[in-house]
Amino acid sequence: MSTIWLPCGVYHQNYVQDHAWWQTKFIKGKMILLFIILFVVIPLVADSYWLSVCNQVGYTVLGALGVQLLIGFCGQITLGHAAFIAVGAYTSTLLILEFPWPKFMMDFGIAYPFSILIAAFTAGIWSLLFGLPSARVKGFYLILTTMAAQFITVDFIITQYVSQIGGRGQAFSLPPGTIKVGPWVIDSDLKVYFMMLVLVILCVIIMVNLLRSRVGRAWVAIRDNDISAEVMGINVVKYKLLAFFVAGFIGGIAGAFWISNIAAISPEHFPWFWSLWLVGVILIGGVGSIHGTIFGSIFMVVVMEVLQLAIMPLADIYPKLLMDFLFIKEAAFGLAICLFMIFEPNGLAYRWWQIKNYFNLWPFSY
Amino acid sequence: MELFLMTITTGIMVGSIYALVALGWVLIYKCSGVLNLAMGEMTLIGAYVSLSFYSMGIPFLPALLISLIIGLILGILTERIFLDKLIGEPVLTVIMVTVGLSFFFKGMLELIWGTDTRVFTPPVFSIEPIHIGPVIVGQAYLWSFVAAIILLIIFGCFFKYTRWGLAMQATADDEMAALSIGVSARFVYAAAWGIAFMAAGVGGTLLGNINGLNISVGYLGLLVLPAVVLGGLNSVPGAIVGGIAIGILQNLCGAYLDKYFPGGIKEVAPFVFMVVFLLFKPHGLWGWERIERV
Repeated sequence: MSTIWLPCGVYHQNYVQDHAWWQTKFIKGKMILLFIILFVVIPLVADSYWLSVCNQVGYTVLGALGVQLLIGFCGQITLGHAAFIAVGAYTSTLLILEFPWPKFMMDFGIAYPFSILIAAFTAGIWSLLFGLPSARVKGFYLILTTMAAQFITVDFIITQYVSQIGGRGQAFSLPPGTIKVGPWVIDSDLKVYFMMLVLVILCVIIMVNLLRSRVGRAWVAIRDNDISAEVMGINVVKYKLLAFFVAGFIGGIAGAFWISNIAAISPEHFPWFWSLWLVGVILIGGVGSIHGTIFGSIFMVVVMEVLQLAIMPLADIYPKLLMDFLFIKEAAFGLAICLFMIFEPNGLAYRWWQIKNYFNLWPFSY
Repeated sequence: MELFLMTITTGIMVGSIYALVALGWVLIYKCSGVLNLAMGEMTLIGAYVSLSFYSMGIPFLPALLISLIIGLILGILTERIFLDKLIGEPVLTVIMVTVGLSFFFKGMLELIWGTDTRVFTPPVFSIEPIHIGPVIVGQAYLWSFVAAIILLIIFGCFFKYTRWGLAMQATADDEMAALSIGVSARFVYAAAWGIAFMAAGVGGTLLGNINGLNISVGYLGLLVLPAVVLGGLNSVPGAIVGGIAIGILQNLCGAYLDKYFPGGIKEVAPFVFMVVFLLFKPHGLWGWERIERV
């Protein structure tokens, strides 16, 4: 049974069609339109500010995809994902700054993409390490171990030890021109935007393809009931650890990507708040849906930007308001999560699905 | 040896404050099944309220009492507005609502009181240390210890001898049975939140007396999580033992391991210990081991 609405008279005759990416001509047209908007219209229309907002959305999507995989598809609640993003960011930065790259790799600009890959693997393995307790514990106890991952990694290891490498003190700054992908030096919002698009699309493809394979079905089975999954012959420990690895991997990509945008990293970029923020994003977007991750990211980032824009004019009257914006943002985020959980527990993805169904079935909604 | 003794004493005294906060946490979990991550901010609210009243010139004990009453009201309100609607929802939903609450409280606290460190002026407890045998203890620690112990005893008597306390015990033990003999579950939930807020508020006030009060005291509130895990999530004596154990562990690590791992070992040690401990005893010392069936 396909989960996609099909027009009258269109039937699938085999499983390949059932799991195809673009099942009808209409969907194909819609997706091509989306790609045109993403790759052509937005870079032409948006100015530097809105491009940076888009980049933030992309970073949030990349970070939240791993959380979505763990919480939404494997049922392993994690509250420490920022740690793995931090590991990715720091690995990539250290590789760029300290590793003696061969000259030709620097010249052809493959040093940074290569470091992204290594960062992703490092973050994946680090995540795997903290996923090990999931073999023994679950539920709330597992939440605590992932919280411990955050405090141990960011507040202790990175702040106290990794930051000392090279004697730079607290923050690592990347000199301009060191981040180079192929012939392009990533130095403007537009270039970051295109890199973000490529990475997000790549990661979404990886996720969707994993989810419609044997691995993904095993994850969903573990999420729904891990005991019956085990009874059915799924190696629960192996697939849980695999989920942690893939989540860390995508988190590492997110971290390694983000250094191209901020050009200087310090432990303050990866606080516990950020882990919780990512969980909030997927809850608002909808748990267990890739659409939800993207909707949630767009919603949270754009709402916060709009809040900021709304507060800016008021700041002329009350200058204190500008300083307090961070606190208002925190309080608003907290309230948003509470209200979404109480009044819209299925998230934005569910609402999207309802709207789509309404139009697909129009005018007879039965 | 003296260092060791002193570390242990300080550990027990700080640990008793953790035990007090952990008691509130376990109470909420036992009565209503909510895993509360907003404990740190709850300690902060009580602490800031009593500090404000104290700075207005009200003596310490009445100020503490007012903060207790405000804590009770806030606790009941929180339960009624947010948690009441979530009975029967999945674990993640409830946890994230408490996380949302913690951000909301934190943002509000920072808006109202700012992020600077505040101290109780004039100091509530004199700075002169007290000598007990070879051990030197700060007065703030000692009185905090005494206050925490008194409150633990009061809460213990409340659960054991009063009608409301017994109702709460009954609900924690078996909700269905309690409902059938006429205990109002909604009352018990609200009472649990109120008491947890009060316990957390006292804990926060005492901690604020020791080191001054700023937002990072809320992090100490997070330390109750290793404490309750150590004791087992649904065991009140476990929470007290766990709190004291975490206090001792923290101070021992601060005293002996700081040489080898400079920096934040004191803050991280409880969490490292917790992860290792969970690998060996996944249900804590006295937690219930639920048998799961398909």
